[in-house]
Amino acid sequence: MKTAALVLLLLALVALPPLAEPYMLHVAIVVLMNAVYAEALYVIMRMGYLSFGHAGYIAVGAYTSALLATKLGVSVWLGFLAGGTAAALLAWLLGMVTLKLRGIYFSLSVFAFAEVVNAVFRAFDFFGGPAGIAGVPRPMFFGARLNTHLGFYYVVLGAAVISLGFLYRLAATRFGFTLLALRTRDTEGLAESVGIDAARYKTLAFVVSCFFCGLMGAIHGHYLRFVSPFVFTFFFSTDLVIFNMVGGLGSFWGPLAGAVLLTALGEQLFAAGYYKSLVYAVVLLVVILALPGGLIQLPRLREAWAARRLRWAKQPVVTTER
Amino acid sequence: MEVYLPLLAQGLAIGVLTGILYVLVALGLTLIYGILHIVNFAHGEIYMLGAMAVLYLHVVAGLPLVPTLAVIVVLALLLGLAIERGIFRVLRGQWLQLVVASVGISLVIQSIGWIAFGIQEKSVPSYLPGIVDLFGIRLPRERLLAAGVAVVLVAALYWLVYRTRVGLAMRAIEEDEETARMLGVNANRVASLSVALGFVLAAVAGAFVAPVYSLNPGMGLEPILMSFLIIIVGGLGSITGTVLAGLLVGVIQSVGAILFGSEAAYGLVFVVMIAVLVARPAGLLGRV
Amino acid sequence: MSAVLEIRGITKQFGGLTALAGVDVTVGEGELVGLVGPNGAGKSTLFNIIAGAIPPTGGQVLLEGRNVTRLASHDLARHGIARTFQQVTLFGELTARDNVLQGLHRHAPSRVLAGLVGTPGYRAEQRELETRAERLLDLLGIGTHRGEVVSEQPLGIQKLVTVAVALATEPTVLLLDEPGAGLSHEESTRMMDLVSTVIRRRCTIVLVEHNMRIVSRYCDRAVVLHFGRKIYDGEPGGLTADRRVVDAYLGVAELA
Repeated sequence: MKTAALVLLLLALVALPPLAEPYMLHVAIVVLMNAVYAEALYVIMRMGYLSFGHAGYIAVGAYTSALLATKLGVSVWLGFLAGGTAAALLAWLLGMVTLKLRGIYFSLSVFAFAEVVNAVFRAFDFFGGPAGIAGVPRPMFFGARLNTHLGFYYVVLGAAVISLGFLYRLAATRFGFTLLALRTRDTEGLAESVGIDAARYKTLAFVVSCFFCGLMGAIHGHYLRFVSPFVFTFFFSTDLVIFNMVGGLGSFWGPLAGAVLLTALGEQLFAAGYYKSLVYAVVLLVVILALPGGLIQLPRLREAWAARRLRWAKQPVVTTER
Repeated sequence: MEVYLPLLAQGLAIGVLTGILYVLVALGLTLIYGILHIVNFAHGEIYMLGAMAVLYLHVVAGLPLVPTLAVIVVLALLLGLAIERGIFRVLRGQWLQLVVASVGISLVIQSIGWIAFGIQEKSVPSYLPGIVDLFGIRLPRERLLAAGVAVVLVAALYWLVYRTRVGLAMRAIEEDEETARMLGVNANRVASLSVALGFVLAAVAGAFVAPVYSLNPGMGLEPILMSFLIIIVGGLGSITGTVLAGLLVGVIQSVGAILFGSEAAYGLVFVVMIAVLVARPAGLLGRV
Repeated sequence: MSAVLEIRGITKQFGGLTALAGVDVTVGEGELVGLVGPNGAGKSTLFNIIAGAIPPTGGQVLLEGRNVTRLASHDLARHGIARTFQQVTLFGELTARDNVLQGLHRHAPSRVLAGLVGTPGYRAEQRELETRAERLLDLLGIGTHRGEVVSEQPLGIQKLVTVAVALATEPTVLLLDEPGAGLSHEESTRMMDLVSTVIRRRCTIVLVEHNMRIVSRYCDRAVVLHFGRKIYDGEPGGLTADRRVVDAYLGVAELA
C-alpha cells in the first residue's frame, strides 16, 4: 500500500509539472530542496545533536559550485558534486573537534562556525563580498542550458529523489540503527561498552549530513543564479530545525512532513519575511506544547499526551542537558 | 610608550565600563541558567523589549523615567511568570524541546518586534548626558550610570542568592533538588521566581543600555551571544564567574581595539575565550 | 586454571585523592569473584579502569595475557570485556530486543551498501541477529518483554536487560556493578541464580556487591578493597573472621 502511494506520488511529480505555471514549479523546487535539507539535518538530530549552523555547510556547497562555475568554467554537474564534497570535507575536519561537545556547547559551536563562514564570505572580494556572486549559470543538458523553471525542476527532483532515497534507506541500515545508540552522553558510554566506536559513527553521520547539505546547496545556488551571505543565514538554519521539530523526530517521515507543509505554507506568506518567521515560530511553539512528538504522532496523540503526563510527574525542576 | 600610556589607561577604563555593561546584560541569563539549567534564548528579545519600552513610554509618550522603569519591571515580571508557567514548566525534563521552544519564543518576539517597530533605526537620548573627566580619562556619564546600575544589581543578586532564604532555596534546588523538596522547598515557586527575575534583569539591562547603542528589533542577537560567551567562559552557574568574564571581555575588546584595531580586537576576544575554555573546560569558576 | 584477567599494581589518583593504591588481583577462567568494600573503597573506579572508561595512573590490566591497559572502551569490548553500570544505563527509547541488538554490534557486519539496497542476504543476517537477541532475553527469563520499550519497564526487568546487553557481546570477562542493587529480595535472588548458573557458564564474572550474604553464597572468591587497597583475597567464608575486614566495615549489620 505504501509503495503504491509512493510510486503514484513519484509519477505525479514527474508527469504533472509540464502543465504547471512557473510559480508552482518554483514552490515545488523550494519544497524539494527544503525536504532534503531537513532530512540531512535529521541524520544528526536523531543522534541527539541540535545544529543551528547547518546553513553554513549549505553555503559552503553553494559557494564552492558557484566559484567553480564562474571562475573556472567547470561543468555545473561537477560543481554539484564538488559542493557536496567540500561541505563533507569541512564537516569531517570540524567534526573532530565539535562532535566531542554535546548539548548546548555543540549547538553553539556549529552556530559559531556558520557565522564565521558567512563573515568570511562577506569580508573577501574573492567571494563577492556582501553582494555575493552573480551570474551563476544553470547546467547544460545535451547542449541546451536549463534556464527554464521546468528544466531545472527535473534536476532538483532527480537530486531530491536520490538524496531522500539514500537517507531513508540509511536510517533502515545497521549504521542508522547504531546512530540511535548515541542519543545522549550516557547512552554513548553504554554504546562504547558494547564495542561501538562512537567518535567514528558520529563523524560519519555528520559527514553524510553535510554532504547532502552541500550538494543541495550547490543546486540551490545554481537555481537562484546567485549566491550571497544573506541567503544562508542563522534564520535558515533555524527553519530547518523547525521543520524537524514540527514534523517530529520519531521517524524519517517527520522532517519530510514538516518541511513540505511549512514550506508550502511559507510560500503563501510571501508578504514579508517577518510574517513568515512569526507563523513558523508560532506553529513551532504550538506543536512543541500541544503535539509532543510532532505531526507524525498525530494519530497517537492521546497516548502521547498520557505518556507525557506520566513522565511529567517524575520530572525535576532542574533540567539537565543530555 | 609615553604617548601610549594615557591612551591605554583610557582604553582600560572604557573596557571596564563596557565589561560591566556586558555583565549587566548577562546577569539575567546566568540566573536562569545557573538555577534551572534552562538556556533562555529569548533573553536577547526581553532585553530588546526593555529598550523599546523606554523608547515608547519615556521618549514618545513622555512618561518620566522612574515610572517607566517601574512599568518595565512589572511587565517583565509578568511576562517571565507567564512564560515559565505556560512553556518552561510544561516542557520540564525535555532538554531539546526547551531549547527549541526558547528559540521559538525569541523568534516570535523578534518577528512581532520587526512588524511593530519597523526597520528604521531609532535612538533614545541620554539620561545623563555629558562626560566626566577623571585624571585625564574621559568617561561618558551615561555609561557610568549604566555601570552604577549594574553594580547595584550584581550586589542585589549576590544578596538575594547568598543572604536570603529565597536564595538559599534556589541554591538548594540547583544542588540537590530531591533533598530540597523533602525539606519543604517549593520547587515550582523557585522556578517561577528565577525566570521572572531573569526576565526583569534582562529588561532593566535593556532599559539602561538603550541610550548607549541604537535600537532596532534585531538588537537582541549580539547581546545574547556575548552573554552566552561570558557565562560559559565564566563558568555556568557562577555569578562571580560571569562578572570576571564580562570584565575580561570588555577590557580585551577595548584595549585590543587601541592596540590592534576593533576588528582584530573582536577576533582577539574569541581567541582568548577559546584559550580559556581549552585550559579550563568548565570555565573560569565553573563546577563539574 | 589459567588467569584470564590480571590486575597488576593498579593505582589511580584524582588530583590529591588516591582512589586506588596498588591493587593486584588475578581472576582465573570460569571464576565468579565478588569485589566488596565500604563506599568509596574504589570498587567502581577499578571497574571503570578495567573497562577502559578511565585510564589508571599506574599499573596494568592484562586480558588473557595481553596488555589491554590503555585501550579505549570500544576496543576492550571487542577483546572480550563487558560490563554493566551501577546506575541502570539502557537505550531508553528502544525495546528490550533492540537494546540487546545494539549489544550484538560486535557480531553484526556493517555492510552499508548491502544494507542500503536491502539484499536478501543482509535481511537474512538481520533476522538471525534479531533471533539471537530474543534468545538471550529468553535465557534470562524476560523473553516476553522483548517488544516493550525499556524506559517504561520496572527496575527488575531493566536490570536483566542490561545484563542481556552485556552478554550479547559474548565477553570473556563480565563485570557486573551491583546487579542486585535496588531489587527486592526475590528479584535479587533470581538475578544471582541466573548469574551463578546460566551466565557463569559463558564467561568469567567479577561482581561488585555490598550484600555479604550474596557474596558468601554465590562467589568462589571474595576480594575486599578498603581506601583503595586490597585487604583480603580468598574464601568468602573467611570474611567475617578476618579482623581487617571487620574493622573496615566497623560492625555493619550485613556482616553478621
